[in-house]
Amino acid sequence: MSIIDPNDPLDRQNEKLLQIAHSLMRRVEQKNDQSGLAYQQFERAALLETKVRQRTNELEQTLALLKESNAQLERANVETEAAQSNMTEAIETINEGFALFDADDKLALFNSRFCRDIADITGDLTEGMHFNDYVALVSRSKHLAIPDGETPEDWAAQRLSRHSTDHVVFNVRLRWNRWLQISEHRTARRGTVILQTDVTEMMRSERQQRDRMLNQQATILQATLDHLNQGVCIFDNNKRLVGWNKKMDEILEMPAKKDPQGLSFAAILHGLRKEVSFHGDFDEQKFENWTNQRARRKPVIFEILRNKVQILNVFAQEMPDCGFVISFSDVTAEREAAQALSDMNERLELGVIKRTEELGEALAEAERANASKSRFVAAASHDLLQPLSAAKLFISSISDQVDDADLRKVVVKAETALLGVQKIIEALLDISKLDAGKAVFDVQPVALSAILRPLRDELTPMALAKGLDLTIIDSSLYVVSDPSYLRRILQNLITNAIKYTPKGRVIAGARRKGTSVRIEVWDTGPGIAEQDSRTIFQEFERLDGPASDDSLGLGLAIVERAAKGLGHDLNLWSEIGRGSCFSVTAKTSSFTSSAFQGLPQLKAVRADSLNGMIVMVVENDVQIANAMSLLIENHGAEVILAHSAQDAKALLSEIDLVPDALLLDYQLETGVNGISLFEDIRATYGPISAAMITADRSNELQKRCAALSLTLVPKPINKAKLLSLLAGMKSIERPRVDAREQ
Amino acid sequence: MMTVAASHQSLLCRAQVRHTTISPVKTLQQQLGDVPMSLLALFVSPETDFEAVVAEAELLYPDTDVVACTTAGEIGHDGYDEGLLVAVGFPKADFASTSLAIGSLDTFDTKAEMDRIAQQRVVLEKRSPSMESGFAFLIIDGLSLREDTLTATISPALRDMPLFGASAGDGTNFRNTYVALNGRILLNGAVLNLIRSHHTTQVFSLDHLVPTSTKMVVTSADPERRIVRSINAEPAAREYARIVGKDPEQLDRFTFASHPVVVRLGDDHHVRAIQQVNDEGELVFFSAIDEGMVLTVAEPQNMAAHLRTQLAALAEKTPFSDIIGCDCILRRIEAEQTQMTREVSDVLSDYHVTGFSTYGEQIGPLHVNHTMTGVAFYRKEEAP
Repeated sequence: MSIIDPNDPLDRQNEKLLQIAHSLMRRVEQKNDQSGLAYQQFERAALLETKVRQRTNELEQTLALLKESNAQLERANVETEAAQSNMTEAIETINEGFALFDADDKLALFNSRFCRDIADITGDLTEGMHFNDYVALVSRSKHLAIPDGETPEDWAAQRLSRHSTDHVVFNVRLRWNRWLQISEHRTARRGTVILQTDVTEMMRSERQQRDRMLNQQATILQATLDHLNQGVCIFDNNKRLVGWNKKMDEILEMPAKKDPQGLSFAAILHGLRKEVSFHGDFDEQKFENWTNQRARRKPVIFEILRNKVQILNVFAQEMPDCGFVISFSDVTAEREAAQALSDMNERLELGVIKRTEELGEALAEAERANASKSRFVAAASHDLLQPLSAAKLFISSISDQVDDADLRKVVVKAETALLGVQKIIEALLDISKLDAGKAVFDVQPVALSAILRPLRDELTPMALAKGLDLTIIDSSLYVVSDPSYLRRILQNLITNAIKYTPKGRVIAGARRKGTSVRIEVWDTGPGIAEQDSRTIFQEFERLDGPASDDSLGLGLAIVERAAKGLGHDLNLWSEIGRGSCFSVTAKTSSFTSSAFQGLPQLKAVRADSLNGMIVMVVENDVQIANAMSLLIENHGAEVILAHSAQDAKALLSEIDLVPDALLLDYQLETGVNGISLFEDIRATYGPISAAMITADRSNELQKRCAALSLTLVPKPINKAKLLSLLAGMKSIERPRVDAREQ
Repeated sequence: MMTVAASHQSLLCRAQVRHTTISPVKTLQQQLGDVPMSLLALFVSPETDFEAVVAEAELLYPDTDVVACTTAGEIGHDGYDEGLLVAVGFPKADFASTSLAIGSLDTFDTKAEMDRIAQQRVVLEKRSPSMESGFAFLIIDGLSLREDTLTATISPALRDMPLFGASAGDGTNFRNTYVALNGRILLNGAVLNLIRSHHTTQVFSLDHLVPTSTKMVVTSADPERRIVRSINAEPAAREYARIVGKDPEQLDRFTFASHPVVVRLGDDHHVRAIQQVNDEGELVFFSAIDEGMVLTVAEPQNMAAHLRTQLAALAEKTPFSDIIGCDCILRRIEAEQTQMTREVSDVLSDYHVTGFSTYGEQIGPLHVNHTMTGVAFYRKEEAP
């Protein structure tokens, strides 16, 4: 609420304000007369009271603080006194002399034992005394044993220099062979604590102990030296004999009467000169030179012969005091034994060399015989394959042309018989290669399914024909192997199983075993007795079984050799009357992308499939060339035939026609092969589809052909394969004219 | 009623009787027992025959200083009460005291009184050297209009002896207030009791008012009669009513209790309580006023809560064993008006406060209103 009533008219308000102001002014100027005394008294009293109260409060606070400070001071005093008396008691109970110098190096505190052994100065020790004065006092004491040649001032200077270190412990010698150990430590407040311990007893007993030990050590040393099975003599740095052992007496047969102690080295050496001769290139002069060096001699070792029978090994070495020690070992017996041993060894070695030579000759002989056998088989097989190939082609041509059913049967049988012969020869060839170690394995990651699946298609008819249930379980596994040999191995194992199993079933499949894959072939055949389990792998060995025309017993021989060559484990489990299981174990391959995925599939070829095609055949074997030409022409193609490279090139340039395909024999006239011919033709006429016919199955040739995009046709020639190949070449559109113009 | 932790082996002797009791002092004496006392204080209801009581007391306690006064209500076992005679005795074993009668306050000689008080104080101190604490307890005629002057005068003579006091009352009648010492009624006078003890004593003054920003200026007054004629150059009662927002015709003691005015001196404030409105429409005050004085309207805090907090603070370090309280009549009126009488009584009872309602309180050199002042006693166990 305002001091002014807003309901009043302004002049009234003004009037009131004037009156208020007037009253206030009178009040301030205290013009009120006696009547206002009571209030004035009240007012003064109130103001005074406020001041008094403030003062009182301040005083009380000050008093409280003062009281608190006094109490603290009191407590501190009590504590200080207690601490001091504790300290005094404590240092008195110490069994050693104790003194404390403060940070200004004034003596602050010491107990009654301090300097008790320096009796003539104890009376002069006073609190507040400077450290330097204390040292000076001690240095002049009668009780102090100052080393000869030193003055008390020297001693004091040395003592003060020790005082500059924070921690130091040293011994002070007193009169009558007494010792004080002084240990001086700087305290955290830069004061110094000195402890004096009487170590006289300790020092004395230590010295006695040391003397005793020295004696004892000398005795032990002599006993040890005498114990040695070597003669030992020790010379000082003046080359005088100072020690030797009993053995030394024996070895050098020193005259017993004469005490050798102190003899010079030269004298001893001289005395021995007549009976001793030096062995090797270290002679007497060198030895003397060695001893004459004053220091830094390198250890020497040599042998001497004494009285022509005794061999002594001598080892001389410098000692730390530049004297030297020489030891003698009698090695006569060892030397003799070593000589005998060496002689015996020599004789034995001669025997071994002789025997080794004999064995080497025998081995070479055997290898030669084996190699000539293998070469013979290989050569024979190769020579047999050429005419056989021709015969097969001719028969093939006939079968296509014969209409008479009976005649046709005969032709088919003839063809089958030839095929059988071919297989035998191929098998022999393989065995000879494997035996001769000439087989080259093209080891790579192989998809098992690429082998198992074709085998199932191929062999199922054979099993069905015998009424057997053949199961070949496909596998997604990959192994590291040569695809063609692996296929041969499995083909042989399964074929064998079918052959020798009269009824029941044959199962083949792969299973993984860690990092390996085991491919197993199970049959329900008659089983193989244990004693036969080795012989079945030999050539031309057949167990009793149903005789078959085409079974020559070469299959397992190839399997065994191929598996061995590939490093695959071949195992046989069998139980008579129940069946057998052959298994081959190969490493799995983790690398699958470029794995062998299968052999190219052949396509059936119709008779007129080669219509309009021009094929050049270059073959130096006239029979095969004719057979091949006949076969190709029967299927509608034109054949340009040449028997040599020269003929071929002449013929091509003459007819001025580029053939659609080239069939080139690898082995042409002397010095020329199919590859060089192909390169010539291609150089002249541009790229032409071509195939290389050869009986050479080396990897090297395969690689060269692959590099030139040449298809390889192995001899003996498979009719279906050849036709399929040519049909494939025909289907390639080739810009003939453009190629020629290039 | 809640219990309050208190030492309660009382140092003081306490007793109370109804004013209707025949030979009330005799009854009080029976309650008090025959403990030798240095001083006996009687707070007597105005409904009692004061003269008779004083005479009886003198008869029964011839060798004891007996100080008596009329009240504006008593504080007994159950807090605020009326129609009681309350007795408080100070046993000789623990207390030493001197009571000085100060006659006719209109004419007293300041210098002589100061000397007398100082002398008596020194005598008492010498008489009780082992007693370390002490206080002065003033009882003064509540209608003498001389409280301000008296306290201002005697306070210096007491030196470091703290003073508290009470103006005797006459209910709410404002006609006759009496003070007596040893059978003698002191008209327009006072009794100063100087008390020393082995035990610790603590004089206190509680004020639960908070000054507001509303102010008014006394523009004319009759300081001698504590009458304010005009405020802000308007008739005092009317302007006061306007300032506190009341109808000028309806001003009564409740208005004064709930809208007290204070003077501010420095950081402190002191209540100038209004006693009544006279027929001329002027305001009669309980304490000294003057022209040009600035009055500030104050607001009371919750009295019961404030009282409990303050008493708890007094007992905080050590519980007190006894406490005497002189409580302004205006506080009782305020409690009544705010319907807090029971609550305040409970607090008083919880803390075993004994005393009476006054027409004014003295603390140190000051005469104030609307406060509670008094002394708390703390027993010292090692005291002889």
